[in-house]
Amino acid sequence: MLDVTDLVTAYGKIEALKGVSLQVEGGKITCLLGPNGAGKTTLMMTIAGVLQPRRGSIRLKGAELAGLSPARIVSQGVALVPENRLVFPHMSVYENLLAGAYQRHDKAGVNADIERMYARFPQLHERSEQMAGTLSGGEQQMLAVARALMSQPRLLLMDEPSLGLAPLIVAEIFNIIAELNRDGTTIFLVEQNAHMALQVAHQFFLMEQGRITFKGTPGQLAEDEVIQRAYLGTRRAAG
Amino acid sequence: MDLLDLIDTIQSIADGVLFGTTYALLGIGFTLIFGVMHKINLSFAAASIGAAYASLLILSAVKAPAVVVFLMAAAAGGVLGGLVYLVGFKFIPLANPLATLMSTVGLLLLIDEIIVHTTAGVPLNYPALFSDVIVPIGPFNLRGDLMFVFVLGCVCMTVLLLLLYRTKLGLATRAVSQQPTASQLCGIGIMRVNILTFVITGVVGGIAGAMTGAAIGMLSPLLSLPLTVKGLIVTVIGGLGSIPGAIVAGLVVGGLENFFQFLRGVSERDLYIMLLLFAFLVFRPGGIFTVAAGRD
Repeated sequence: MLDVTDLVTAYGKIEALKGVSLQVEGGKITCLLGPNGAGKTTLMMTIAGVLQPRRGSIRLKGAELAGLSPARIVSQGVALVPENRLVFPHMSVYENLLAGAYQRHDKAGVNADIERMYARFPQLHERSEQMAGTLSGGEQQMLAVARALMSQPRLLLMDEPSLGLAPLIVAEIFNIIAELNRDGTTIFLVEQNAHMALQVAHQFFLMEQGRITFKGTPGQLAEDEVIQRAYLGTRRAAG
Repeated sequence: MDLLDLIDTIQSIADGVLFGTTYALLGIGFTLIFGVMHKINLSFAAASIGAAYASLLILSAVKAPAVVVFLMAAAAGGVLGGLVYLVGFKFIPLANPLATLMSTVGLLLLIDEIIVHTTAGVPLNYPALFSDVIVPIGPFNLRGDLMFVFVLGCVCMTVLLLLLYRTKLGLATRAVSQQPTASQLCGIGIMRVNILTFVITGVVGGIAGAMTGAAIGMLSPLLSLPLTVKGLIVTVIGGLGSIPGAIVAGLVVGGLENFFQFLRGVSERDLYIMLLLFAFLVFRPGGIFTVAAGRD
């Protein structure tokens, strides 16, 4: 569904992505693991159009996304749940959801979707008039997911949804991820929590220092090796 | 101080508060642009006066009523707002905070010079509405032209608040000001929101410029610098990014300014407003309502 080929993104002279190629299959959960600074968030921001790639292509069902504005990419059916959630702190939960549906013009459909989000995330329903900045970390994460879903994405990108959350909440978030996938959403997930990620993922990639270094299915590599490489990188693991 | 003095004092404060709506509108303009771009647009008050001047052009062509002149000022303000964005912001690297400060100072000087050279620096009469109406309330007399300025200012603020809190454009504007990256991810075009904010604040500024002209009865190129300073003072006292703060601060500054002018004369009044600003910067730097609606 998503084909990334030889993608290079740089901050000034420093290349954070040094030719990344990977594929995300439709209807599946694909996971990207790697140590800090490997370029995972850069990759997500580049696919979403917030960062512009220097080279390479990003194709969604054959249509080129590289070079498009973030707004155009959203209209192509890609939504990103950003790292650290980034909810609009001084807007109510309801308004945050409305903002997620910014590009839609079917008022009835948007309202129906907001009701569906409330049904899926009851905490959000209870707090619909509360300012998003006053929610707990887990609630903000759910809001960020719901906000992204409001644009009716074909492909949902998630950048470290478990970051800074308590283990119980993390389990809940991963339940939601599996559930969304069962309902037909393709998910491409960046995670530090390799253990949880390998439980839900259909396939995964390892990324180290701006390059993809492994591609496979969760059973293919022993979990401790994945964890070692995901947290420490190959070079230090070998030494 | 006898009763007559007291009545005069209250009268001058009331006049000041009525005129203070102009300051409130200018403060809102500064605050809104700061809200979405986190940049100060120093040319805003000059552009507002420029828009009022531009609206006089129609009078040189036909004998239009004051209402039409006001509408022209609003329209010219919108156009000028868009131009200021294009010249002073669009091609300037936003990462450098001083760059846009310099470009907007440049625009302020440019607008001032254009006004001075086209009018030879001579003040021009500005039409007022209801200038012959005086409403007596007990011992006080409310000037019709100031009342009109006040009502127009209130209507403007109401429309602006409805726009911000009841429309999709307002939602997008608030989203961009609170979390620019997330608003991009929601599919909001930041550049479009920025341009529209400049045009809308420009319209508000044009109306404020026309209100100033109507209240004083004339326009002079000497107005733009004091109005810039007053607008910034109102913005700081109200709290950068806070619209309710700008409204309250505008009325307070207007009232106090006239009060001190009545007590100490026109040459000293600004001194006390500066002291007020100083007190706020020291004791309450976040402004009246402290929690600014800016970046979290």
